[in-house]
Amino acid sequence: MLTTLLAVARQALNRQLVYRAANLAGLVTNAFFGFLRASVLIALFAAKTAPRVGGLDLRAAVTYTGVAQALIVWVALWGWWDLIDAIKTGDIASDLQRPLSVFWYWCAQDAGRAVAQLVMRSLPIMAVYAVLFPLALPRDVVQWIGFGTAIVMAWLLCFAWRFLYSLAGFWLTDATSIGRAAAFLMTFLSGFLMPVGFFPPWAQTLMLLTPFPSFINTPIEIFVNVATGPHMLALLAIQAFWIVVLITLAHVVLYAGLRRLTMEGG
Amino acid sequence: MISHYLKLVSGVLRSQLAYRTAFIVDVITVGMSNALEFVAFALAFAGFGHIGGWSLWQVAFSWGLSEAAFGTMDMIFSGFDPARFAQHIKRGTFDQFLLRPVGLVTQIFASDFALRRLGRVAQGLAIFALANAGAGVIWTPAKLAYLPLVFVGAVAFYGALFVFGATLCFWSTEGLEIVNLFTYGGTTMASYPMHIYTDVVRRLFTFVVPTALMIYYPALFFFDLPDPTGLPKIAQYLAPLVGFGVLTLALVSWRVGVYKYQGTGS
Repeated sequence: MLTTLLAVARQALNRQLVYRAANLAGLVTNAFFGFLRASVLIALFAAKTAPRVGGLDLRAAVTYTGVAQALIVWVALWGWWDLIDAIKTGDIASDLQRPLSVFWYWCAQDAGRAVAQLVMRSLPIMAVYAVLFPLALPRDVVQWIGFGTAIVMAWLLCFAWRFLYSLAGFWLTDATSIGRAAAFLMTFLSGFLMPVGFFPPWAQTLMLLTPFPSFINTPIEIFVNVATGPHMLALLAIQAFWIVVLITLAHVVLYAGLRRLTMEGG
Repeated sequence: MISHYLKLVSGVLRSQLAYRTAFIVDVITVGMSNALEFVAFALAFAGFGHIGGWSLWQVAFSWGLSEAAFGTMDMIFSGFDPARFAQHIKRGTFDQFLLRPVGLVTQIFASDFALRRLGRVAQGLAIFALANAGAGVIWTPAKLAYLPLVFVGAVAFYGALFVFGATLCFWSTEGLEIVNLFTYGGTTMASYPMHIYTDVVRRLFTFVVPTALMIYYPALFFFDLPDPTGLPKIAQYLAPLVGFGVLTLALVSWRVGVYKYQGTGS
């Protein structure tokens, strides 16, 4: 089964690699928005006498915007409509005929998509950033390993979340609006718009009660060495916890949805 | 022309209101997602104090103005939205417009009216209204008379960017995302005091794509602030003129594109 899933992932990867012009344009746009965010933070830090805000100095804050822009396509932060469309058109029925788990079949596809985006978008964005700004890099091998683990878990977690809200399609005729709502929740609470550390304490507490900071804020805090040692391990454990919760939830809702689907004879 | 437009648009609106719940969720989502971006900025702002010498309320003033103008444009010009218009070219449905005995520009205007953008307009106006309490603008008759002109000018200007984007589709539908840099990137940029950006970028967005003339320079006039970029004072009064000038230019280029258009042959 694992080899089949790998083949599915490889297909998805190749499919992504075809859209070169779109990827180049997307890269320029991502980098430009990153430049805007960095400019805003540089101007904010200029107004400040204390060198650190929320654990970040200017260099780490600018790096934060860069890694955040690079992670957009890796976790598909703007949302994902493939599963919603498959449920809407009824194509989901053909997934049921495959001798594979529905969840892991879509997950393998998304893995291929993510790897393609990593190569074509995320790494080039970091390269552009490295040219424009002095960056804060993981200080040693341990941080690099922590960061690598964190982005893989961030992707899986975000996939489980996207899968979960897409299942609304079983109950609603137009789940696209739910998808849009879910996507904006994610951008706000994940620390994508502003680092979680910049928010007042009460807001931080609220954000940290949700799985969303694990999508963006966690990998970046590890990257810029704000989270190290036991703190880093704790953040990774929180990511793992949410993965278990969201994947379990996704399966429960999926089976409820499928039962409804067969009842309608669709 | 107007009566054709109204008749066509009323059909579009009726179809959008057919799925009432989805529509309401969409309006709220669109409004909230833009508002939350400001909320994130405002919450983080408390830890800093000012940005380029501007207070939070001064940022809110230009933010609200830019967002409300862009949202209004996004409704009226949604037929020209490059992402949507490209579909007409790809699928060959643009040819249908050419066959109908109604003016082409009227038809494209009437082909869509994204009413869900009302959410964006509403949040822009709300932020703008809030800003007025705190931004300390001393309203004079001249300023009150100029404000609606700035708004209409900005709508025309942002609309021109959509028309330019749609025109590009006649040459290529690949890599159109680059237009986002000037539309969505431009409106984001204009939300902040534009002297925080590096000279090259600010000049590009003043003299080549005159986004700065629409919101930033007029804002200096409303705030009675000296111009840190050293342009002549007239730059603050050009918004309506430049807005409609650029729109005229865009419609001329659109006409050239239509003459050049040969269809996909499908």
